[in-house]
Amino acid sequence: MTAETTPPAARAPAGPRQLARQRRRASLVRFWNRYRSHRAGLLGLALLALFALAALTAPLTVGPDVASVTEAPGRPMESPSGDFPLGTDRFGRDLLGLLIWGTRVSLLIGLLAALLSVVIGALVGITAGHFRGVYDTVMMRVTDWFLVMPTLVLAIALATVMSRSLGTIVLAIGVTSWPTTARLVRAQTLAVESRPYIERAKALGGGHRHVMSRHVLPNVMPLVLAQATLIISSSILAEATLAFLGLGDPTVVSWGGLLQEAREAGAVSSGDWWYLVPPGIAIAVVALAFTLCGRAVESVLNPRLGVAR
Amino acid sequence: MNAHDRRSRENRSPRSGTVRLLATVLTLAAVVPAPSALAPQRASAADGDKVLTVAVAQSVDSLSPFLASRLVSTSIHRLMYEYLTNYDPKDAHPVPALATKWTPSADKLTWTYTIRSDSTWSDGRRTTAEDAAWTFNKMMTDEGAATANGSYVGNFEKVTAPSPTRLVIELKKPQATMAALDVPIVPKHIWEKVGDFSDFNNDKSFPVVGNGPFVLTDYKADSYVRLKANKNFWRGAPKFDELVFRYYKDQDAAVAALRKGEVSFVAGAPALTPAQAQSLKGVKNIRVNEAPGRRFYALAVNPGAKAANGEKFGDGHPSLLDERVRHALFTAVDRTTLIDRVFQGHAVEGEGYIPPRFSTYFWKPSASQKLAYDPAKAAQLLDQAGYRKNGDGKRVGKDGKPITYRILCHATDPNDKAVGQYLQEWWSDLGIGVQLDCLDNVSDPWLAGTYDLAFDGWSVNPDPDFVLSIHTCGALPATPKDVGATDNFICDKKYDDLYARQLAEYDPAERANIVKQMESRLYDLGYMNVMAYPNAVEAYRTDQIKSITTMPEKAGNIYGQDGYWSWWSAVPASADSSSDDSGSTGVIAGTVGGLAVVLGAVVFFVMRRRAGAEDRE
Repeated sequence: MTAETTPPAARAPAGPRQLARQRRRASLVRFWNRYRSHRAGLLGLALLALFALAALTAPLTVGPDVASVTEAPGRPMESPSGDFPLGTDRFGRDLLGLLIWGTRVSLLIGLLAALLSVVIGALVGITAGHFRGVYDTVMMRVTDWFLVMPTLVLAIALATVMSRSLGTIVLAIGVTSWPTTARLVRAQTLAVESRPYIERAKALGGGHRHVMSRHVLPNVMPLVLAQATLIISSSILAEATLAFLGLGDPTVVSWGGLLQEAREAGAVSSGDWWYLVPPGIAIAVVALAFTLCGRAVESVLNPRLGVAR
Repeated sequence: MNAHDRRSRENRSPRSGTVRLLATVLTLAAVVPAPSALAPQRASAADGDKVLTVAVAQSVDSLSPFLASRLVSTSIHRLMYEYLTNYDPKDAHPVPALATKWTPSADKLTWTYTIRSDSTWSDGRRTTAEDAAWTFNKMMTDEGAATANGSYVGNFEKVTAPSPTRLVIELKKPQATMAALDVPIVPKHIWEKVGDFSDFNNDKSFPVVGNGPFVLTDYKADSYVRLKANKNFWRGAPKFDELVFRYYKDQDAAVAALRKGEVSFVAGAPALTPAQAQSLKGVKNIRVNEAPGRRFYALAVNPGAKAANGEKFGDGHPSLLDERVRHALFTAVDRTTLIDRVFQGHAVEGEGYIPPRFSTYFWKPSASQKLAYDPAKAAQLLDQAGYRKNGDGKRVGKDGKPITYRILCHATDPNDKAVGQYLQEWWSDLGIGVQLDCLDNVSDPWLAGTYDLAFDGWSVNPDPDFVLSIHTCGALPATPKDVGATDNFICDKKYDDLYARQLAEYDPAERANIVKQMESRLYDLGYMNVMAYPNAVEAYRTDQIKSITTMPEKAGNIYGQDGYWSWWSAVPASADSSSDDSGSTGVIAGTVGGLAVVLGAVVFFVMRRRAGAEDRE
């Protein structure tokens, strides 16, 4: 799927645009064929599809009313029963419904935070690798600084000083988890830029922006994608951690928030497992699914990782 | 100390999760002598001392009686220092403590206290009237020493000690609280060496000289507070040898420690949750004690923060200055649902300012005065006040923007968050937005007046003077930069007049009558809306504590009493049974741990040797 792969033999002479499209389609197919051979990757993908489906159809299946405290259907802290398969929470809300509803927030935050993190990382990495010199040194020292800072501590500090909202959590996770991406992308940028065709592009009058966006970016994109998939899982975990530590918005239903509520209500010491276990498992499964996908993508794109093909 | 917890915002301390807890556990392990590292709580049981361990969560603000205002600190001061008077555990009437007798002059302006001669400081010196006179004089002359209890001496003209057993207080005006001066008396010979009272926290050299039932021997912030029984206490020595307040920032961890017998008592902060109480009820050797609380749980409104010099500050929403809006908001709060759902019956619906437990001063609004739950009426009130709905169904303020109120809530209190969610839904039906600002430290926005509404709560003393005084104009901070005794910047002329009248009223019935008028006024103002009186829900191990005095004796609470009765009276369960099984757990744990270490070491060395052998080949 890299840009310089040779296009399959074209049946008829085609324009450059069409040629590019064909080439892309072919590499996608090849990517999928290779990905298919990773059974764990497929499992991860299936799980993700399941969760995505649950999240997208939640407004139809459970509806936003499930999070309403004034219209809670049950008594507080009921154990599982026919009406409430997973029992009720401290307000008497249906925990199964809340679990499904919470999928939305957890996935959304995971995706947005990963996106933010990857965007920052790619931007820093590409510009540092492209411009080199003093700028590179400064940016990499900043990256190093973020790299050695314990992410969670930094995120907690950020979430504490800012107001409690989803945006804050996304920001806190996003700005603390980008340094690995930046490092990786910079390395790849250096490798790409040392290739002769970049020199040719420059000779033909390609400016910084052209080189970075037309030549470097497409070449680092696969790496960024693989990295993004892996970051999503850690973002979801980070979101759950922050919410569990009480730094989330208490009025928003998320898995970490459910765990935090359970702890505050005393579910741990009173052994109300139905309040604690399902959100915990959900977090673990989603994080696992993203990791499985990320690893599979990584090994497809980087044959040197030595996974049987 | 009158206010057992100053503002609930200070009363609840941040709970910072497992890291802190782990640190606490590690510190404790490091503090107690070696063999007990695996079971720290058994350390002193081993040398025969009977230790009463209490799990607490609230951080100590200061151990100086001149500064402390949180419940945990003032409770500790009750144990460390004797006050002039104490409250009877049965019905809370003033009983002799350091003073054996107190008599007013005919004009009630000169009060003479007889100081007992059988009370000694823990360094051997006798406690005299001179100590008491010095304490009061210090508070009258030194601004820093008046921080916590200044309200008691504001009216004092002169305090003298003509003889070691006679204390004379002359007043400027009559003062009804003369038999309820909740001021710890400190030893003059120790405290006169202190330079800056606003800066001295009394936690540097141990043991701290005192004359109460216990002597403070050690303190480590957010780890533990250790007190030793004062065997020479005039009322009789406590039955336990040592009293330790140990920190559990996580309430579930405290409950688990109680189940395991690592602590004898869990107070809960502020109370055990319904689920915890429920799960502890059936457990062997554990008793759950539930009592009508001393606290009220209220929704405070920012009346436009201002200082005594007239300067306004903060940014409270202007619409809240309209009484109709405040009434509308509270009318849309269904208190019955809150009691039923959030407190699950472990609270009583809020009425007046003072909880029903203090029946003399309890007041409830008449049917016509009451702001009963009625959403339709609330909407009507808002319409009348001119805050009408726009096209999106949101009510707009005078500035044309939709109204969203910021509610200040304690991130550490689950009830705040739960009630906040209800408020959000009830008020959004009215067309009003709610932004729940849950913070670990609510003091900063609170003191700066940068909030619209806030969750508030105070423990009330048998004498309500203090909790009433925090809503007077006199309690406002001198300038916006200062910290005043005020709760939420209420300043109302009519209320102030009533306050002055009740303070000068010596006839109990008439005084109660005036206090009720004050409560009525406060209710009508709508700046302080009491939602509930939460019960005190606490639990202790009966195999460690045989008996303990509750206050009031019938259906009373144990932690945070007005006095030292509970810990002073606690009787240890027969030493054998408790130390036996606990001792054996400690031994077993120790043995297992030791074996594991030895095994690990053996495996390690075998591996090393094997590796070495391979290297040699």
